[in-house]
Amino acid sequence: MALKDRLRRHRKDNRFIIGGLSLLLVVLSGIFYLIQRGRDIPETLLNNQLLLFVLWYGNVVLILTILFVLLRNLLKLLIERRHRLLGSKFKTKLVATYVGLALIPGLLLFLLGTELLQGTVDRWVNAPVGEVLKESFTVVEGLYTRLEEQSLEDAAKALEAIGDLDLGDARQRPELGRRLQRLLGELDLAYLAVYDGTEFVHGVVDPGTGITDLPEPGRRNLAAAAAGERVVRRIDAQGTDGRLVLAAAARPEPPEDQAGQEEAPPDDQAADDSTTRRQATVVLAGVLLEPELVEVADQLVAAHLRHRQVEVQEDALKASHLLLFLLVTLLILLASSWVGLYLAGRITVPIQALAEGTERVGQGELGHRVEVEADDELGVLVRSFNRMTGELKRNREVIERSNRELVEANARLAEERALAAAVIDNVAAGVIASERSGRIVTCNGAALAMLRQSKEEVVGHAAREAWDDPERSQLAELLDPRPSDEGDEGDNGNGGPGRRAREARELHLVLDGEWKSFEVKVTPMVSPSGELRGRVMVLEDLTQLIKAQQLAAWNEAARRIAHEIKNPLTPIRLAAERILQKYRRQDPDLGEALEAGVEILLREVEAMQAMVDEFSRYARMPRPQPQKVNLEGLIAETLRLYRGLKPGVEVASEIAPGTDELMADPEQLKRVLINLLDNAIEATDPPGKVLVRATTHDGHLELHVADTGSGIPAQVKDKLFLPYFSTKGRGTGLGLAIVHRIVSDHRGTIRVEDNRPQGTVFTIDLPLR
Amino acid sequence: MRVIAPLLAVLILAAVPATADPRVRGLRVSVDGRRVLVDFQLEDAFDEETAERVGTGLPTTFVYELELLRDRKRWFDRPLDSATVQVVALFDAVSREYLVNYKLNGKLIESRMVRDLDELRHAMTRFDDIPAFDLEPLPRRWRLLVKVRALLGPKTWLGIIPTRVSTDWNESHKFMAPEELMPPR
Repeated sequence: MALKDRLRRHRKDNRFIIGGLSLLLVVLSGIFYLIQRGRDIPETLLNNQLLLFVLWYGNVVLILTILFVLLRNLLKLLIERRHRLLGSKFKTKLVATYVGLALIPGLLLFLLGTELLQGTVDRWVNAPVGEVLKESFTVVEGLYTRLEEQSLEDAAKALEAIGDLDLGDARQRPELGRRLQRLLGELDLAYLAVYDGTEFVHGVVDPGTGITDLPEPGRRNLAAAAAGERVVRRIDAQGTDGRLVLAAAARPEPPEDQAGQEEAPPDDQAADDSTTRRQATVVLAGVLLEPELVEVADQLVAAHLRHRQVEVQEDALKASHLLLFLLVTLLILLASSWVGLYLAGRITVPIQALAEGTERVGQGELGHRVEVEADDELGVLVRSFNRMTGELKRNREVIERSNRELVEANARLAEERALAAAVIDNVAAGVIASERSGRIVTCNGAALAMLRQSKEEVVGHAAREAWDDPERSQLAELLDPRPSDEGDEGDNGNGGPGRRAREARELHLVLDGEWKSFEVKVTPMVSPSGELRGRVMVLEDLTQLIKAQQLAAWNEAARRIAHEIKNPLTPIRLAAERILQKYRRQDPDLGEALEAGVEILLREVEAMQAMVDEFSRYARMPRPQPQKVNLEGLIAETLRLYRGLKPGVEVASEIAPGTDELMADPEQLKRVLINLLDNAIEATDPPGKVLVRATTHDGHLELHVADTGSGIPAQVKDKLFLPYFSTKGRGTGLGLAIVHRIVSDHRGTIRVEDNRPQGTVFTIDLPLR
Repeated sequence: MRVIAPLLAVLILAAVPATADPRVRGLRVSVDGRRVLVDFQLEDAFDEETAERVGTGLPTTFVYELELLRDRKRWFDRPLDSATVQVVALFDAVSREYLVNYKLNGKLIESRMVRDLDELRHAMTRFDDIPAFDLEPLPRRWRLLVKVRALLGPKTWLGIIPTRVSTDWNESHKFMAPEELMPPR
């Protein structure tokens, strides 16, 4: 890891910060301790040039550091504000608050403390104790002076007392000693010595003083004394704590001739001394200042000197104290400023980063992350923000992916829609789509051609508006919204709109004076959730087909009529030919033959008459006269005709409630039932069952006639309802055709299906009203 | 700005006491064998303030910086050697004597006891035959010179800024090392 990274990491580390602050606290405590101990620090140290310079340059460095820190941050703030960086105003306020809180009290405290310190030093220096010390020093000096004067006086007396003695004469030495001892006692001296020039001759010491070694005055002092100078010295006595005040007195030098008469010394040293001896005899007298007084005097002198030193170095002392105080103040200011800036940074940096992040997210950079370390509530905010942007990024990716898929799906749908539109436009069937409200939204060309309308007349209009004429209104009824649409939720079972997906009916319209026949299928459009979205109507133009079917039916009818007519013609012709033959032969059996032939003729004519009547009835079938039908009674009445007709074949009915709402022609409906029951009874072998079941749904009646008979082949089912079609080889083949026509005239449908497990079921669907 | 600058200058000048500037005078150099002997004296340095300071028993120091240079006519002189003479005076209030110690390049070379201020002033400011430099390692025929300045005690400027009082450099006459170095007398 690079040092820079480590430093950055440490800078963010609270332990590092706490450690730094603790170190600063230790330093400040140390300085405080030194200040407390300041009175014990020697003035020489406090006034030391090195200390002053160290303090001064330490202060300069701190001032520069503080200025650097403050100016650097100020410059950064100015640049940020100039560039209108987010959060710069807030940061400025926070930094100003923190730094102001740190600087202003610190500076005020420094100014106050400085004044206090100056005053304290002034009072310290100018205190009356200075005068006391000075007077004490004067007293001590006076004492020493008095002792010096006394010593000088005593030395002079001693010099005079031994003036008659010749120091060079060894025989006089004992006398010298006696005199010195006597003088020592008389003058109350501690020490008395005689020097011949600078050469020691004799010395005596008061044994009561405790002096162990004779004091050494020094050749230079002796020479000075011999030269007539005033020589006094204060020296520490050996063997005692007292102090000797020595004074020297010298006898005037002898005349030159007298000196020249003296013998020269035997060696060089003596030669040097001879010069002194020629000049003077020096007496050294010493007065001992008692140890107790010495101690007191030394203390007074030392105190006076210390005070004088302080006075002399007052400026330097003030400077050193001020610099020390300034150093502490600057350290505190630096620490508080730095902590203030740091705390401001700790708050503003995450906020700035968050503000910038918010702006960048607002600009669409959803994946932006705020890379700022914070471990407080701001850290929670930063982490939440990063989670939010991460979630936004993921959601955006999902949306983009979904959008791409949607675009692709739309493209596919558009293609499919175009294909479907092309298919719809090109199919022969007419396709009409309506919304749930009944408004027509699609109508292909085939439908427009079938309905003889333009697109503008149909598309965008409600079905009832588009088809407001009596003929087309039949179509409108199929597309109109129905009360059951409300709440329809895609019931594809037996009650919802899905059920009518299979709804197909035949409509006969007269359009522009032309008869048209359509098969109409209406299919509800249901959403995956089951909601009805609209309906699709498919029109099949059956006009040509019906015409073809009618033509085929008529062909079949003609064939059947011909066949039916042809069948009786043969017995008629045979009967007629037999009668003619009998007549020509005048056969006696002519009468019997005539009777039998006429009988045949009448029977066949009757049959032909019945057939003609049947056709006539089919052709002249009246339009239904709808009325409220008691369906249950009608079915019961009809079934009574067939009960017990075929042993082993049960005839039953199941009538659901609500069938009494049916509006229909009861006679035609009864005829329908009879035709169906005839076929069912005939097709069912014992044991079997014929069941008539009536149910209602969605405004419609469903009438089922089911048997357990042999069933109907699939290839025959399509032709069952054609006129004159019969699988029985007898009859007119009009029964089911009549049934189909009656049902159609009632706007209903009929279909034939296999019954389960065996047999056939005919299902008639009729609108209740 | 036009007002502040002169005002500041006046304040600064007022803070400096109007006393005579100390200076090194009488710098003379002689060659004794291989040694360079230096004579000089410091004037207007041992004032009443210094005497008062010494009298309080504080050790008072004058430091003399000496430099031996090669004289170059058209270029800066080249420093060849340097020496420091430190004179420390200490007053004994009991014996009323002044102990004066002399250190050459940090090593004690002399100690002297004087008894009055005149003698002390003389001892601290007058120097004769200080053996400051050795010519042995130097090439011959070089024109040489010696510069001396004195560093006096610390002062405070504006009551808070410490400064060191020093004299200007004083230069000796040029001289040349003899062709043959004789042992010192």
